[in-house]
Amino acid sequence: MKRKSLVLGTAVFLMIAFTSIGASAITRKSTIRVDGMTCKMCTGSVEKALKATPGVEKVEVNLERKEAVVEYDDEKVTEAKLREVINATGFKAVEEKPKSE
Amino acid sequence: MVKKISIAVLLLFAAIVTLGQDSRPTQLKLRDIQGRYFRLNDYRGKVVLINFWATWCPPCRAEIGDLVKMQHDYRKRGLQVIGVTYPPQKLAEVRRFVRRARVNYPVGLGTKETKRLFTQSETLPMTIVIGTDGRIRDIIEGILLPDEFEQMIKPMLK
Repeated sequence: MKRKSLVLGTAVFLMIAFTSIGASAITRKSTIRVDGMTCKMCTGSVEKALKATPGVEKVEVNLERKEAVVEYDDEKVTEAKLREVINATGFKAVEEKPKSE
Repeated sequence: MVKKISIAVLLLFAAIVTLGQDSRPTQLKLRDIQGRYFRLNDYRGKVVLINFWATWCPPCRAEIGDLVKMQHDYRKRGLQVIGVTYPPQKLAEVRRFVRRARVNYPVGLGTKETKRLFTQSETLPMTIVIGTDGRIRDIIEGILLPDEFEQMIKPMLK
């Protein structure tokens, strides 16, 4: 009986541990500096293109700081892909050491 | 008497509906960069994409290549792209850009009034989708994404 409880407890512990590891690995937040974002009328395209990218969960584009803060599922999309998406909108995702969380 | 009033009300309602229909921007007339005038009505029967853009707008410039390709690939299926510069720009600058980008559709010089025929929004780029009947079907703010073309515009083509 004692042994059964121990096995069950270990199984539950392992399940919780794996679930936590999975959850922490999935959502990632990156701040990408975007060059050329000076026109208030046209920055909406960056947000639109990022939001339409599979795996992207949340986007905030800050015109004053010239950056895009993106939350994404890192199993579905990479930061390199996000940079490609930004570049395709005519702006330039600056290559610098990414500030990731 | 009641019957007469009812008919009058009905006629008034019909007139309002008709007025609403007539207010659609089929009367758009613009001068292109060669100085020739063209009208939206010239393209009746086609699916028209009126793309508002500016040479200084990065996403507008990035989008032009896709629009040129769309015009080339879907012309025979009834697609017609029209470029309208907004806000007003220097003609020489627009001409230079159009030549360099090998734009294969008419480009007109727009004003605030031109844009207001369709929308109050100041977003750039902006694409107005006009159906074969001349009515506005959609207003796409920002760059026209491939999925938007596939889902909204392609089904309208022949």
